[in-house]
Amino acid sequence: MLVPAYVREFEPYIPSKPDEELKKLYGCQNLYRLNNNENPLGPPPGAQEVIRAFPPPRGAVYPSGDSYYLRQAIGRMHGIDPDQVVVGNGANEVIAFVVKAFCQPGDNIITADKTFAVYEWVATFSGIEARLVPLKQEEFDDQAMLGRVDENTKVLFICNPNNPSGTYWTREKLLLFLDALDGKQMVVVDEAYFEFVENDDYPNGIALIKDYPNLIVFRTFSKMYGIAGLRIGYLAANPDVADMIRRTCVVYSVNGIAQEAALACLQDDTGHIARTRALVRESRAYLCEELARLKLPVIANEGNYLIAKLPGSDTLAYRKLMREGVMIRPMTGFRYPNHIRITLSKMEAMEAFVTALKKTLNL
Amino acid sequence: MDRMDKIKSRLLMLAVNAEKSNLPVLTRFVESTTKVSGMLRDECLSLSLATEEIFLYLCKFVCPDKPLEVHCHNGIYYVRISFSFSAKKLNLSGLNIVGAGIRDPEEDIGAIGLLIASRSVDHLDVKVEENNRILLSVTKEKSYPAYEEKHPVPGQAENLVTETPDTAKLKVFAAMTSQYYKSPYIPSFFSYPGKLVDMVQSGEYIAFVSLNEKREVAGGIVLNFWSEKILQMYGPYCFVKAREREIGEALLNACLVRLARTKAIGLFSIWGLPEALQNHFENLGTLSFYLDGKLRTDVAPFYRLLHEDPGLEVWCASSLRDYLERQYRQLALARMIKTSLHMGETISGASLFSTEMHRNQSVVILRPLLAGNDYEENIERHLRFLLDDHFVNIYVELDVGIPWHAGLTDPLLANGLQPVFIMPFAGKADLVIFKYYDKTKS
Repeated sequence: MLVPAYVREFEPYIPSKPDEELKKLYGCQNLYRLNNNENPLGPPPGAQEVIRAFPPPRGAVYPSGDSYYLRQAIGRMHGIDPDQVVVGNGANEVIAFVVKAFCQPGDNIITADKTFAVYEWVATFSGIEARLVPLKQEEFDDQAMLGRVDENTKVLFICNPNNPSGTYWTREKLLLFLDALDGKQMVVVDEAYFEFVENDDYPNGIALIKDYPNLIVFRTFSKMYGIAGLRIGYLAANPDVADMIRRTCVVYSVNGIAQEAALACLQDDTGHIARTRALVRESRAYLCEELARLKLPVIANEGNYLIAKLPGSDTLAYRKLMREGVMIRPMTGFRYPNHIRITLSKMEAMEAFVTALKKTLNL
Repeated sequence: MDRMDKIKSRLLMLAVNAEKSNLPVLTRFVESTTKVSGMLRDECLSLSLATEEIFLYLCKFVCPDKPLEVHCHNGIYYVRISFSFSAKKLNLSGLNIVGAGIRDPEEDIGAIGLLIASRSVDHLDVKVEENNRILLSVTKEKSYPAYEEKHPVPGQAENLVTETPDTAKLKVFAAMTSQYYKSPYIPSFFSYPGKLVDMVQSGEYIAFVSLNEKREVAGGIVLNFWSEKILQMYGPYCFVKAREREIGEALLNACLVRLARTKAIGLFSIWGLPEALQNHFENLGTLSFYLDGKLRTDVAPFYRLLHEDPGLEVWCASSLRDYLERQYRQLALARMIKTSLHMGETISGASLFSTEMHRNQSVVILRPLLAGNDYEENIERHLRFLLDDHFVNIYVELDVGIPWHAGLTDPLLANGLQPVFIMPFAGKADLVIFKYYDKTKS
C-alpha cells in the first residue's frame, strides 16, 4: 500500500449536503442554519459592497499571492510588521501551515479533548500524535497540558474562547502558561471568536507576541465578520516564526474577493461588531431562559453559541429538528454526547428552534 | 503500531495454485501456523479438515489451477484461514454455501461442499473484496476454561470512575457479568474471562469498567466492530442496581467519547439495554430468535447514530416501499426512496450469496454478492439445506444502497422471509434485515 497507515485509518469529515438538498431530504420548507456559528447579519456593509461590485473580468486575474494589501491593513491594526502575518484560505488552512512547519512524524501536539476538531485532525492525518487533555470544568486545563509535554511536543493549541464550551483563559492565566513553557514549544492561541468577547480580562494574543516569540495567534473573518463563504483567516507570529511558517504555504490559495472583502471588514465604521454583539447578547439571554424553563442544563459562556444537554441522543435530536427546519450541531463528535450546540442568531430563528425543540422532546 | 498494523503482524501467507497435488503443502502450512497460534490439537485438526475440504472444493468447482493466496491470521482468541483469489472469468455460483446443480445426485457432495466444511469450524464467510477478489474464510475459536468462582456485589458505589480495565479487572468483570446476568441476554464469552481478555488484546474489542472507591468492579461494557463502521455493544452491565442509571450512563459516555472522531457511525445493542438507558438509543424493532432450535426469545435491538444523518438515496422493490416509509418516518431518517423496477432487461448468470455462519447459535446471515437470474431457486436451495443442517435463525441482509438488491425482495418474501428491522448506515446505505419465519413454529 502506498498510503501511510495514519492516512488510511483517518476518517474524513463529511460535510453537510447543500441546504436545498437537505430541505428535500428532510421535507422542510425553510432551514434555520444554527449549526456553524455563522453571523446572521452577514458581512459589514462595506464588505457586502465589495462582493456586489467585484468586476467579473477580475475573475481571470490571479489574486495577490500573499494577500499583500490585507496584510498591510492587519499589520497597521495590530501595530505589527505585515510580514508577521500569514493569510490562509480560512483558519483551517493556517492550522495546517503550522503543523507542517513545526511537526514531523514522531512529534506530538497537545490540545483539549473537547475543542475544535481541526487541530487534532490535521495532526492525525499528518502522522503526528495528538495528545488530548480533558477539559477541567469546561476549560482548557493548563496544568494537565503542561504535564503532557515531553521532548517531542512541538505545538500546544489553545482555543480561546473554546469552541464549543465558550470558556476562556484570562490574560493572567495565559501569561503563566507561556512562562511555564519558557519558549520551548510553540503555543497557538486560536482567537476565532475574539471579537465576541467583551470582558476586560480576556487577552489579546497578538499584543503578547512581542514578548513571547513562541506564540502564534489565529484570527478568522468567518465568524464576527460574516464572510465564512469566502474562506479567509490569518495568523500572526514573531517575524522569524512567520518566516518559517510561510515556507509551508501554498501561495494564491486566498481568492481576490475574499482579500478585498476582508479588507473592507477591517475598515468597517458602521458598528457591525456592536450590532452583532447586541444580537448575540439578546439571543443568549432568551435561549438560556427558555432552556432553563425546559430544565435542560446549558453551557453558555463566550462566543456566538451555547450548548445544551438533552435527555437523550443528540444525533436523533438533530434529525428531528431538521424535520422542523432547524439545523443545529450534535456534539457527540466534540465528545459531548447528548449535547447540541446552537448558534446564537436572530430572534426569529431562536424562537423557531425553541418551538421545534419542545416538539422534538415532547414538552 | 496502529490496529491494522497489529493485525498484519499476526498474518502468515502461502501462495499456491488450486491444484489437488498441492494439498500436502496447504495441509502442512495450516498445521504449522495453527500450532504456533496456541490452539489445542483437536482445534487444529478441525480447522485443518475444513481448509482441506475447501481447498479441494475450490480446485474442483470454483477456480481450478488458478493462483490462490492462503492467509492464516492469528486473532489471539481464534485462528482464521482465508482463501483469496481473483474472481475474473470464473463462475462463482459454486461459492454459494449450497452450490448450484443439486439435481444431479452425483454432484450433491460438491454442491454442499462448503456447508460440510463449515461443520468443523465456528464461522465461515465469503466476501467480494476490492479488485474483484474473493475472500473465503473459516474461523475456529480457541477453547477457554469456564470460571466458577463467585464475586460479591460491591458494598458501596461512591466516587465511581470509568476506565479501561487491566487484565485482572477485566476477568472480574466477565465473571460478574456471567454471574449476575443470565443467558440468553449475555453472549457466551462472558463465561470465559480468559477469552474476553484475549478478545480485548486482539484489538477487535474494547472494554470499559466502572470502579468504586475501593477499586471494586461495579459495572462494565464491551464493544466491537460489527461492520466496518457500526459497533456492537454488550452492556452496560451494572452490578449495583441502585446506581444502575449512573453507572450505565458513565460507561456509555466513555464509549461515545472513545468513538468520537473515529470512523464509527453507529452503535447498536442486540442483547438488551437497562431501561434507564433506553432513552439514549432508538428502538429498531423486535427480533425473535430460537435458542437450541426451539425456545423462542424476543430481543429489542437498539441503535444510536454517532454522526449527523447526511441523508441518502435508497432503492427498493414496490413491495418493500411501505415498510421502508414507515420505518424511516419512525427513525426520523432522511431518505429519498426510489423504486427499482425490473423492466425486462436480461440478467445473466447465477447469483451468489455470502454466508456468515455461527454454528453455536444456529445463526446464518446471507448477504447477496452477485446478481443473477436464479434468485428464487437459490434462496429456496439455501433455505432447504440450512434448515436440514439445523440452522433455525436465518437472516438475509439487503443493502438499500445497491439497486439490484431490490430484485431479491419478492423471492425472499415468497420464501417466508420478512423484514424485521433496518440497520442504518450498515452497508453502502442502510441494511434491511430479513428473517426466516418457519410457519410451523410460533
